[in-house]
Amino acid sequence: MKQILHIFVKDVRRFWPEISLSVAITAAFARYYPYQWTGADHMHAVMGNHLLVPYTAQFLGGIIIYLVPVSWWLFISRVVHAERLVGDRQFWLTRPYEWKNLLAAKLLFLLAFLYLPIFAAHCVLLAEAGFYPFYYLQGLLYNLFLLTVIIVLPIFALATVTSNFARMTLTLLVAIVGMLCLGSLSSRLLPTHPVVAPPSNSAVGSYSILLCAGIAAVLMQYSLRKVWLARLLVFGTPALFIIAGPVLARLSNDQALIDRNYPTLAGQDAAPVQLSVNPFSPGEREFVTDMLHNGEIVAHIPLKGTGVADGYAEIPNDVRIAFEAPDGYQWVSPWEPSSTPSFLPGGGSGDSAITMPRAIYDRLKGKPLTVHLTLAVTQAKVKGITQIPLPSRDFSVPDFGVCSPVSGWMTPIEDATGIVCRSALRQPPLTYIGVVWSNTSCSTPHAEPDPGVQGDGWAGSLDRAPAQFGITSVWQAAFRLSNEYKDERNGTPRYLCPGSPVTFTQYGLFRRTQVSLTIQGFQLAAVREGSGFNY
Amino acid sequence: MKSTIRTEHLSRTFGRTCAVGSVNLVVPEGAIYALVGANGAGKTTLIKLLMNIFRPTAGNAQVLGIDSQRLAGRAFERIGYVSENQELPEGMTAGGMMDYFRAFYPTWDHTLEKELVRQFDLPLGRKLKHLSRGMKMKASFASSLAYRPALIMLDEPFSGLDPLVRDELIECLLDRAPETTIFLSSHDLAEIESFASHVGFLEQGNLLFSEEMSVLSERFREVTITLPNSATLPADMPATWLQPQAADSVLRFVLNSYKQHTSESEIAELFPAARDITYDPMSLRSIFLAIAKSNRSGAPSAGNQVSSQEKKA
Repeated sequence: MKQILHIFVKDVRRFWPEISLSVAITAAFARYYPYQWTGADHMHAVMGNHLLVPYTAQFLGGIIIYLVPVSWWLFISRVVHAERLVGDRQFWLTRPYEWKNLLAAKLLFLLAFLYLPIFAAHCVLLAEAGFYPFYYLQGLLYNLFLLTVIIVLPIFALATVTSNFARMTLTLLVAIVGMLCLGSLSSRLLPTHPVVAPPSNSAVGSYSILLCAGIAAVLMQYSLRKVWLARLLVFGTPALFIIAGPVLARLSNDQALIDRNYPTLAGQDAAPVQLSVNPFSPGEREFVTDMLHNGEIVAHIPLKGTGVADGYAEIPNDVRIAFEAPDGYQWVSPWEPSSTPSFLPGGGSGDSAITMPRAIYDRLKGKPLTVHLTLAVTQAKVKGITQIPLPSRDFSVPDFGVCSPVSGWMTPIEDATGIVCRSALRQPPLTYIGVVWSNTSCSTPHAEPDPGVQGDGWAGSLDRAPAQFGITSVWQAAFRLSNEYKDERNGTPRYLCPGSPVTFTQYGLFRRTQVSLTIQGFQLAAVREGSGFNY
Repeated sequence: MKSTIRTEHLSRTFGRTCAVGSVNLVVPEGAIYALVGANGAGKTTLIKLLMNIFRPTAGNAQVLGIDSQRLAGRAFERIGYVSENQELPEGMTAGGMMDYFRAFYPTWDHTLEKELVRQFDLPLGRKLKHLSRGMKMKASFASSLAYRPALIMLDEPFSGLDPLVRDELIECLLDRAPETTIFLSSHDLAEIESFASHVGFLEQGNLLFSEEMSVLSERFREVTITLPNSATLPADMPATWLQPQAADSVLRFVLNSYKQHTSESEIAELFPAARDITYDPMSLRSIFLAIAKSNRSGAPSAGNQVSSQEKKA
């Protein structure tokens, strides 16, 4: 312990400029990042008096979040390279340094001047956003863990296999270019369709492998200084990820993966949603087919979902479509992420799209096809409903976050044109947000009562890890409410008046399953004129 | 006698290059052992193998009774290592470095530290990066001697230093000699000849000989034979004759196995008509050059002497 503190004190004395810089950047991040939160009360408070101040601060806040990891890059490099592990001329190699003490001293340094400042900054940001920081202690610690796995440990491991800051930076640039080339090469050689598996599986596995590789490289360097072996671990692990991803995806059985994560319903269970082809008025809507730049065809099938039980929502995650021609020819698509919107008890509609090779399209077009469409669906169940009369300032939504009405440039705050919400440490739980828009300005006296227009949107996700990886501890919930424009072409907005009801319906995971639809006599449409876009 | 360093077939290769090849070496306790050899002979690599900076490809070494590959941490409390190429904590002042290292050594002698600082006239307040090469070496010496190490390892410690600084450092080393073992490498024979007790000669990674200086000096003689007629080299020349030369009536060679009575009578028998035969003692430099040149010309050298000296040690 004495030696640990001795090395630690030496580093503190030597690296006080780096410490000061890093802590100052972290402090500035905590101070200025809240200006990113559009619509928050404190923004309105300062905007009235000095327009320049909040926008400069907002700009600073936007920049400084990137400076935080950059300062860590410099900071970790300097402290690790003070007793560098690459080379044979370092003074400390022939001094009574215990490698465990040396490593512990470096970790203590990071704890004191990296982890504690960023932890404090996260607490300040949470408090500033209206959250009680210690209520989110688990999430704060989990985010520190994610920061360690994704940023700190890779930088630390890279520092242990390089001899100085310049080499480390150059190595990173070369590694990034190499990884990009490798990624591009592997995706060209082994093109795959990504399948959306439930988030827990792949993420935890990837984090574990990265964590183990990083720790192994660091321990190997400090205990044995086996530079090339450690380098192999540091650069080989991400390279392996890049190569192994497409290879495993190619080798793995998508159907088995889907069957495992989305078990088919037992015979007596009713489908959570009844799928049918969405009827369209003649001339209004047709089956459409687009051509991608690479010559592949995207076939759209408009779907309608009904029969969703009250209190549930059906979220299509992946889709697979099988086309069967009258001559017996069959083509089955691989599983692909689905773009179909969620189905609610009131019913819902949306396209289901699938990509197919041009040759297959040419073989199937113009024939009456039997289509077997299968959706891998996540069934979410309502956990709670909160209805709030819209206030004119920040308001808290239990188990969701803190929201603010936002108004346009030079528009009075009473004429809110949307809502933005902030959540602690991650995107909020999956929530359906319903509002009532006013067609006229709220500040204008109405001759007749405005019946209003319903608007809705989805925010958040079903993933319930205590935190998502982020330099910040406060997330802006990304959602867009429908019907926000009275006249979309002219950009005439609708308004959310103070006191109008805002409903937050929170959902939790109920189960995952597969839902199928068979369509007889389906004909692939001609390629849409003017298409040729790429997704 | 106990040995401070002992190696057995210690080898190290870098790719296809053999830097140190099967070195068997014994350094007795209390010796001032000078490892000599030309630049690139493998001296630094050998020292780094002994200090566990490099790991051997084959063989092993014991340093202060510890396997060199386990030499780490507290084992260095008894070893002082100074190298011409060693990096120092340049951001520190000389005094700061002494303060920093002091805490690592339980045997740190404050009185000796003050004495060394005074003797070397170290500017304690100046940063190491601003010191001259000589001053840096002095600072390195002071920080490596102040804890009275049982073994002092010096890799080309005097290289590039002015004679004054070199003499100061040698004087300081000799002050420590009675209580420690000193192992130093050098390619400058003159500087070590005056104080080394043992010498080893490394040539292209191979240890050609390793023995006490007095024995070495006794073993080598420059033999000059003056003949009545023009001299010719004998056809069956012994392997112990190095660099034989014949000019006019004079025959010269270096004898690497001189024993006063036997060698003189054997040579007298070989040249019964010789008018004069002289056996001149040689300087270390002359011995070194004779061996090096013989070795390079492919002639037999003194390598066979190593094993006999090892047995002796």
